Amino acid sequence: MEGRPEEKTGIHGWGVYVPRYRLPMSEIARVWGWAPEQASGLGMKEKAVAGPDEDSVTMGYEAARNALRRASIEASRVGAVFFGTESKPYAVKPSATIIAEALGITPATMASDLEFACRAASEGLRALIGMVASGLIEYGLVVGSDTAQANPGDVLEFTASSGAVAYIIGPREGAVAHFEGSYTYVTDTPDFWRRAHQPYPLHGEGFTGEPAYFHHIENAVKGLLAELGLKPSDFDYAVFHQPNGKFPLRIARRLGIPKEKVLPGLVTPVIGNTYNASALLGLARVLDIAKPGDRILVAPFGSGAGSDAYSIVVTDAIEERRGLAPLFDDYLERRKEIDYATYAKFRGILNVIK
Amino acid sequence: MEVYITGVGLTKVGRHFDLSLRELAARAAFEALDSARIDKVDAVVVASTLSYREAGQFDLAGHLAGALGLKGAQTLAMEAGDASGLAAVEAACSLIRAGSAERVLVVGVDKLTDYVSSRVYRDLQRLYEAEVQALYDIGHAGVAGLLARLYMERYGVGRDTLSYWPAMDHSHAKHNPYAMLPFAIDPAAVPRALKVAEPLTLLDSFPLGDGAAALVLESEPHGDARAKVVLATSAAGYPSFTMNEDPLAPESVGEVAARLREVTGIAPANVDVIELGDTFTSIGVILAESLGLSKPGRAAVDAMEGRFTLGGDGPVVNPSGGLKARGHPVGATGVYMVGELALQLSGEYPGLRVDGARRGLAVMASGDGSSAHLVLVEGVA
Amino acid sequence: MSMDLSVPETWRVKGPLYRLEAARCKTCGRIHYPPMPACPYCGSRDLERVTLPSEGVLESYSVVYAVPEGSRHKAPVLLGLVRLGRVRVVAEITDADPSELRTGMEVEAVLRRIRSDREAGIIRYGVMFRPKLKGGSRGG
Repeated sequence: MEGRPEEKTGIHGWGVYVPRYRLPMSEIARVWGWAPEQASGLGMKEKAVAGPDEDSVTMGYEAARNALRRASIEASRVGAVFFGTESKPYAVKPSATIIAEALGITPATMASDLEFACRAASEGLRALIGMVASGLIEYGLVVGSDTAQANPGDVLEFTASSGAVAYIIGPREGAVAHFEGSYTYVTDTPDFWRRAHQPYPLHGEGFTGEPAYFHHIENAVKGLLAELGLKPSDFDYAVFHQPNGKFPLRIARRLGIPKEKVLPGLVTPVIGNTYNASALLGLARVLDIAKPGDRILVAPFGSGAGSDAYSIVVTDAIEERRGLAPLFDDYLERRKEIDYATYAKFRGILNVIK
Repeated sequence: MEVYITGVGLTKVGRHFDLSLRELAARAAFEALDSARIDKVDAVVVASTLSYREAGQFDLAGHLAGALGLKGAQTLAMEAGDASGLAAVEAACSLIRAGSAERVLVVGVDKLTDYVSSRVYRDLQRLYEAEVQALYDIGHAGVAGLLARLYMERYGVGRDTLSYWPAMDHSHAKHNPYAMLPFAIDPAAVPRALKVAEPLTLLDSFPLGDGAAALVLESEPHGDARAKVVLATSAAGYPSFTMNEDPLAPESVGEVAARLREVTGIAPANVDVIELGDTFTSIGVILAESLGLSKPGRAAVDAMEGRFTLGGDGPVVNPSGGLKARGHPVGATGVYMVGELALQLSGEYPGLRVDGARRGLAVMASGDGSSAHLVLVEGVA
Repeated sequence: MSMDLSVPETWRVKGPLYRLEAARCKTCGRIHYPPMPACPYCGSRDLERVTLPSEGVLESYSVVYAVPEGSRHKAPVLLGLVRLGRVRVVAEITDADPSELRTGMEVEAVLRRIRSDREAGIIRYGVMFRPKLKGGSRGG
């Protein structure tokens, strides 16, 4: 089959993980003296919080295990593991190898951790498409996982949350969804960063919006549509990076995509911004409910800044794979509300002697 | 060949903040040597479980021999988890029976109060398989806690019934001048006490205390002989409590009880006095039942009905107060048990006296139940 | 600079801790965990590595309040006796409140941080068990 490399590839398995603990927005507002309306202005209800024995590796492992179960392939056939995160348990020492080893993917595999703020996993996804299409590897695993940090008391704390998502990418044949095309748009735009050795990121507040999020996603999506000769109305679902509950709806409106196509994949209001998982977790939520033939637009974004846009078409194989692992909603229903003090303890915000 | 216990030295178990490990050991050792009226031994066998972690001393037996003024003695260090003390007695008997020594000083010593309790719990976890199981934060009491729940659910034994076991220990300990906790407790207080590893509470658990005990063992009896060791044996290498087919019936304990019957023709239930290594209430009832002192599921009920106390129809169990109330300075405990039994049989025991007692039995399992140790002593009167 | 956890040991125990690798005795057929050089039931050295099932039943548990140093942040520690097929495993239970635990409940293995060596040392990951996720029957 001649054509775009993306068309030779597809998603064989998807898997998510959302931790059990939820922090209501009212708790953050109570402790830090925010106006009660602050969280609703961000379209937020509550956020997921990783437990005391969890980190981006353990969450990523579970999402990857779910993806591998859905793909129903031998772990050893995975030829590359990319782990996108900005909350690595080790600053130096790959997390990807831990996940690969625990899943039985090692040793004949590539494995590395990628960093591009919230977009690293998406870059890993696009790299895997190329690697599979070229025949370099048969299958690849990409994991996006974060225990997102925010300076306590910063507005970012309302949204920064914990969660993970994973995909097994392989040949188009046998895929639950295949790719039609992909497009990446990056510039040097300093909207959000975390300096080396610093525990929390800083951001340019309003500067994260127009010049960063909106500019990059809009151009990535327009680039994709131009390359594929598609228009927004050709898509049944649209999923965008979701740093809060409002931005994805605004970018959709700007692109002429109705809200109804965005809401099924908009998970941030109920779990928070899971950074590297964010848009890809939204895509997983859509795959949980999509029908064969549905076309999905996905556009992750990462600060610094860049966006990728993908066009994905669901195949008949999705129905038989869906039930092989828990759905996003299964994790969503597993919910234990905590207060700010417990959150602070779980996330290591308290200063204790170890 | 019999081995005679000619000297006994016991220190009160407690928080000996003012005594170092060797000073505490010396108190017990000097008392044992003095009561045997000797000042030289051929060998020193030292039982200590936590001393490397808590006192940081390698070659503890060698260093102690010097500190005790026992120049020229052979030394042997024994570490067998909770049962180090009984293992040391067994080793000392072997030295004498093999003709390697005629007079042996056995010293058991451990200090559990030199560091904070959470560190001691971490160290005591090492009684369990260390590479995988003890990597988890199981604490010193976690496994005993889940065994307690298993026991209660299988036999339909209520929490209130189980409480009679530690209450029995305490009712005995109130007479024992060496006990760390020499007072009686109301069984109703046990479930209400601070939870340690649910369903077990602080009143089901041995206290963290320091202690040293010492014995002089000799091949030839003389006027100071208190008792003789008839059998000192151990059986290791069995599945742990949790790996065993039946977690409530450790094979290791069954094996040493069978050996007792084979070698002496005596069943544990026919002994007059028994000191049991009841680190926790659940371990106490499991040991009692594995030795055949009670039917499965009945040990706490038997304790409640007074079967194991003076005037009961079973052997008197833990006249010292057991690990719960006398205390459990880990490596020293087995030496305490044998010393207390020897004094009991010679009529010198200052605690709860079992008149006319002829035979005393000490039994302990290692922390995880994979091995068991047993010592049978008889009076020489 | 000091380290409490052994780095080589962390590396050696990956099989049992990451993937529940156990040993099956070819003589008596029994399985034990973690794998030993000889069968703890019959003493045979004729063993093969097997992987335990990741789902099982909680046979007993304890809520540990007397926690060892370094674990206060997750106190009380939930300790489980978990039956995986024919094998019993002692491990921590996670993602549960003490009041949720019942003997006989279904649990499943998850990978968690078991220990971490203070601020800068090695992190040891390994299996813990949690109440089986609703919808988890979809898992294999």
